[in-house]
Amino acid sequence: MTTCTTFWRTCRRCGSAAVVAAAFALGTFAAAQSGADAWTTYHGDYTGQRHSTLTQIDPANVHQITLAWAFATGQTAQIKATPILASGVVYITSPDHVWAIDARSGHQIWHYAYPANEGFHIGHRGVAVYKDSVFFTTPDAHLVALNAKDGKVKWNVVIADAKKGYWSTNAPLLVRNHLLVGVAGDFDNLPGILTSVDPETGQTQWVFYSTPPPGTPGSPSDNATGGQMWMTGTYDPQQNLVFVGTGNPTPVLNGPARAGDNRWTDSILAIDPDTGRLAWGFQATRHDTHDWDAAEVPVLVDGSFNGAPAKLVMQASRNGYFYVLDRTTGRSLLTKPFATANWATGIDQDGRPIPNPAKEPARDGRLVAPDESGGTNYRSPSFDPKMGLLLVSSHDAYGIYFFRPDHGAYGWAGADYGVFGKSALRAIDYCTGEIRWSHDLGEGASGAGVLTTESGLTFTGDTAGNVMALRTSDGATLWHSGIGRVGNSPITYLLDGRQYVLVGGGASLFAWALPETR
Amino acid sequence: MRKRVSNLAESVGAVVLVHLFASSALAAPQPPTAAQLQTGQRVFAAQCGFCHGRDAMGGETGPDLTKSPLVRDEAAGDRLRAVVRDGRVDKGMPAFRLTDAELAAVVAFVRDQKVKAESPGARRSVSVADLQTGDAEAGRRYFNGAGRCAQCHSPTGDLAGLAARLQGLQLLQRMLYPSSGRAAKVAVDLPSGETVRGALAYRDEFTIALTDDAGRYRSWPAPQVKFKVENPLEAHAEQLGKYTDDDMHNVLAYLQTLR
Repeated sequence: MTTCTTFWRTCRRCGSAAVVAAAFALGTFAAAQSGADAWTTYHGDYTGQRHSTLTQIDPANVHQITLAWAFATGQTAQIKATPILASGVVYITSPDHVWAIDARSGHQIWHYAYPANEGFHIGHRGVAVYKDSVFFTTPDAHLVALNAKDGKVKWNVVIADAKKGYWSTNAPLLVRNHLLVGVAGDFDNLPGILTSVDPETGQTQWVFYSTPPPGTPGSPSDNATGGQMWMTGTYDPQQNLVFVGTGNPTPVLNGPARAGDNRWTDSILAIDPDTGRLAWGFQATRHDTHDWDAAEVPVLVDGSFNGAPAKLVMQASRNGYFYVLDRTTGRSLLTKPFATANWATGIDQDGRPIPNPAKEPARDGRLVAPDESGGTNYRSPSFDPKMGLLLVSSHDAYGIYFFRPDHGAYGWAGADYGVFGKSALRAIDYCTGEIRWSHDLGEGASGAGVLTTESGLTFTGDTAGNVMALRTSDGATLWHSGIGRVGNSPITYLLDGRQYVLVGGGASLFAWALPETR
Repeated sequence: MRKRVSNLAESVGAVVLVHLFASSALAAPQPPTAAQLQTGQRVFAAQCGFCHGRDAMGGETGPDLTKSPLVRDEAAGDRLRAVVRDGRVDKGMPAFRLTDAELAAVVAFVRDQKVKAESPGARRSVSVADLQTGDAEAGRRYFNGAGRCAQCHSPTGDLAGLAARLQGLQLLQRMLYPSSGRAAKVAVDLPSGETVRGALAYRDEFTIALTDDAGRYRSWPAPQVKFKVENPLEAHAEQLGKYTDDDMHNVLAYLQTLR
């Protein structure tokens, strides 16, 4: 019997504080939205729980769900974006492309193609919406505002210099009149930046640096650059703090060039969205030499810990460890591995794993778990408040890591190779870090995120190309369909009284629902 | 400006295509031009770099292309073109729509990277000399003892002459997890009482499939049949959690003696 309970649920229907704030932020655009018929932000709400209150599809009937519609992008790029649903319109993206789709029928309303560019076309996470604008980041690190009605460009601003090596895949996070835009850039020694943009004008409001910009006196990051904030953060309106994960330090594999902890790389940061001021930071991996971004979703939960009410932020991090922090202070409450990890000698007094120097990349190679792709990655986890479980698509994997001095101190600065890995969906008890159940997902790494619903269902994808619904209480499979590799995190919404589940398979988007009743 | 570069690249690429993809042995090898390499680097970085590394020497999910036989072997041009255009979806590689000129430029870039990688002091490469820290005798003991390698392998049998075939990083990778080939076998018991045996062709939670001795692919819904998979690679996966780094280097040193 656990002493843990959660009392602040992700209630899009009943209007929790976060939902009220989201509706306010969306202004007139989403004024007609009652909650359950919308998924207006990357995570669905500010908490990052990706837990829906919808119950029409449940464990007893999920085996009956059928294809309501499918939308083929016609591109070769896999869909990695979370669909956004506002006012009956679904917005889905791939690099350089945005589509507006009728959420009822799946037919295209408009398509926007960004001009050919030399940016990094690795993937895209989705758009943000505000009033009558749709915001889209680009491979060459621009932010484009489109008219939601027709996809025409309103404005286009530069967020970071692509020629220096920045790119963006980011789904911006909207907090009142701040649009927070992240970028990436691992192959050059670049400071980590998060930019707040005025959603009306595109004007920059502030820039937060996770590692110091050139010219900063001293060496607060121990000569490390990096710490890019390429994933969408979460937000607590009561604290008025945004929580965002930062990426790995650069040079990536060369540790000696940046001896020290390398703050604030691989960290969970709490930032004031009005000023860009750092409230606190917690380093998931200090002195990372394995490319283990802590960019994964910092999930906000109001629950209890050790029997006392607690405001928590939790993260299943790429380094294979699960963290629970007090989000008012950043103090560690729990650190425990959830995937295979052999790189730490213990946990320090601040809850940070202690890196084993013998597992730093070396001339003759070091066998390290996780591999570069990590114990998990950008695919979103989901938190079920009733069960007290964080569902994480996990990866047990080994890689070999090499570094020798003549690899230099710029960009990757070393070499690493994946050896073998396999995936499992793990249900982590947030109070103890224990794995309640684990469901095999196959060899390799799954790209699928997770969605849970109040009816007790968990949707995700395996490594073979199946989307599946599991029973959240025990991980039993209740439904599946082979649609191609799932590369995004599923969402759900209610429209005309019918619950839809949207998931990307390959370069297409699939909408599932119970059969229509006549 | 960008358009002019692009046009130039296309015309240059068209010439190189003849060299790359025509099967004529008379086509004289021509060194790539600077413009072509620039185009190749640009296209590669944007479309291929995240998986294969921006320098083509391997990345998060894609192999080192400077060591790829498809890229190395000029006669394989058609096959390479097919891989890029159709993808290797089963292995997670999507299809890419590149023009012939772009593809030719990418190939030229990757081959140029290969030349650079093989020059001394280049970054992101692992040389055979880097991997010579192991103790071969300790490796032999591990091979026959704790490593349990001898349960499946023999230095005078399947591994005879191994070091003459594989060296350095390639040998290390194959030692840790020999991912190529279909080593796994499966026996499927059908409801009729018949047992079908073959090489495991596909397996997920819902489907089991094999290729039988006649080369025919057969599949069944996994919950409706009983099956037993014998996969010798499981021992390799299991060993990854047991090796110390010294064990790994020692076994490699031992394997290098099998010439």
